[in-house]
Amino acid sequence: MIQEIADALVQSWKNFAEAFVLFVPRLVAATIIFGGGFLVALLVRRVTQRALAWVNFDRLSLRSGASEMLRTADMPPAEVLIAKILFWIVWLGFIVSAVDTLQFGPFQGLVQEFFRLVPRFLVAMLVLSMGFLVGNFLWRATLLASVNAGLPGARLLSSALRVLVIAIGVVMALEQLGLATSVILTAFAITFGALMLGLAIAFGLGGQAAAKILLEEQFRAKKKRDTDAAPHL
Amino acid sequence: MAQNPVEHESTLSDELLRQLIAVGQVDVLVGLPTLNNAATIVDVVRSVSVSFTRDFPRLRTVLINSDGGSTDGTPDLIRSASFVEGDMVQTSHALRTLHRVLAPYHGLPGKHTALRTVLAAAELTQAKALVVVDASGQGTTADRITELIAPVARGDIEFLAPRYRRHPRDGVLITQFVRPLVRAVYSIGLDEPLGSEFACTGRFASHCLEQDIWSHESARFAIDLWLRTEAAAQRLSVGQIWRPVGTPGAGRATLREVIHQVVLSLVESLRAHESFWLKANAITELRTWGVDPGNAPEPATWDYDALAEQARHDISQIKPLLEGVLEPGLFVRVMDATTNSGPHLDDELWVRTVYSFAAAVRHGRAAVEHLADMFAPLYMSRAAAFMADTEGEPLPAVQTRLDSLCDTFQRLKPTLVAAWADNV
Repeated sequence: MIQEIADALVQSWKNFAEAFVLFVPRLVAATIIFGGGFLVALLVRRVTQRALAWVNFDRLSLRSGASEMLRTADMPPAEVLIAKILFWIVWLGFIVSAVDTLQFGPFQGLVQEFFRLVPRFLVAMLVLSMGFLVGNFLWRATLLASVNAGLPGARLLSSALRVLVIAIGVVMALEQLGLATSVILTAFAITFGALMLGLAIAFGLGGQAAAKILLEEQFRAKKKRDTDAAPHL
Repeated sequence: MAQNPVEHESTLSDELLRQLIAVGQVDVLVGLPTLNNAATIVDVVRSVSVSFTRDFPRLRTVLINSDGGSTDGTPDLIRSASFVEGDMVQTSHALRTLHRVLAPYHGLPGKHTALRTVLAAAELTQAKALVVVDASGQGTTADRITELIAPVARGDIEFLAPRYRRHPRDGVLITQFVRPLVRAVYSIGLDEPLGSEFACTGRFASHCLEQDIWSHESARFAIDLWLRTEAAAQRLSVGQIWRPVGTPGAGRATLREVIHQVVLSLVESLRAHESFWLKANAITELRTWGVDPGNAPEPATWDYDALAEQARHDISQIKPLLEGVLEPGLFVRVMDATTNSGPHLDDELWVRTVYSFAAAVRHGRAAVEHLADMFAPLYMSRAAAFMADTEGEPLPAVQTRLDSLCDTFQRLKPTLVAAWADNV
């Protein structure tokens, strides 16, 4: 009996020692990957930030209106934000790799999952950026065109258009990431549809007379605003 | 460098080439771009022919009409306008054949295409002097045509631009914006940077053909200004000639459209000639030919209070856009001066605003078309303020204001140069 207990203990110790001998090198390797990854990610962040500054990315950001939106949201400038995002992508890649090196059962296949997600994440970021870019361009163009045409509520109209385009961009980005796709799409469709239907009913049925007056006044105002250039030349 | 248009089949049609080859070499080529000018064209053509016969009988001359697709029979009228002696009372007989070539132009519609055809014809015929005449014919007489041809034909000058005796409250877009800006930036005392008539040497015509302006979208309306600024940038001897003030046809374009076009034209020129104007300093005053008309006609009256009200409304609407264009300190001052009924945009604030917009174009703070639209209400505010401030003021005092504005543009030019050259 005692012998059996002793054998079990020895066996257990042997198993532990074997596992420990196997685990320690993995732990060391994982630690090196983790630390090395941090340094690489830092390097990537600095290089990216400098490269973006070198190509005057801030001008593009300013021109697209992204700078203004980031400032409003109390976020860092666009080039810093992009560098930070890249830092986290690179470091997360190394962290996942380090965890994978430890060969924990529940985390098996994490690396493959991560690298499957990265391209989708980048595409989502691109879609989101395009949404901001197009949204801001349309906002500016609509605001100027509406002001030139003397439309009432020019700022409301242009801001609504910007919000709509950016919202579409956000939904497309989330869909790209595969996050609760059906819920997001359904929510967006319901909200957008309800808004448009509400506006159509309000303007088409409830406000026919108001719409008529508005359009007539608009036509008169437009004629009044179209100042002849001749006396200025 | 663009391809030489003479070698470019789309510039000169086979029929036009055939006609020009038949004409051979000429000394003076008069170009007449037309578009529905039936009301005036016959008088203009006769004035040109009288000028040729009476004043340049020994020179080889040709009149080239470049028509943009008139629907009122303008080309037929030119074809049938007689060059016979009966039209040329008291003129001498022509010693040479009077040539007349009609050329419906090809390519993109617009004045630049018509001018390009005329310049290409000048190059092909090796014209020594090229004169472009306004087909709307305001004040066009044989004497005026001769005045325009003679200085260049004699070799006294390489580029001749019209100059008008204006009332100081007339042509506010010119006096408050275009003239002082071009004067300060290009360091040249050009009074009318936007006029349509001009005379130049055949060599300058060939030079212009080689530039890439013709393919630019904005060339359609920027070509007149570009030709003048190109002459300045090439350090040609530039002069001016007195012409009667034209009366622009009412209802052709709205003020906003014209401001938009003028801003795009200026941007085109500033970009094209930056290597010249960034270094240009002392202003060259230009010699003026012709007879000074003396008294300036009374300016047209317009409702500047309504314009000021429109400007106030529009500026308050586009406030967030202006914030991205103007420097923070300047933005606050401009908003104070334009959206309140208090002090107006004074000279210095106006000039700094203009230069800020130029810098914004350079640094791509917004699309140029958007910047042009943003600029419109600011100009409207300034124009209305100028008219209100000078209401009832003696003419010399108004003229002093105009001179002072030119000085302010010149004094603050270093800020534009610094902002333009700034890479940040």
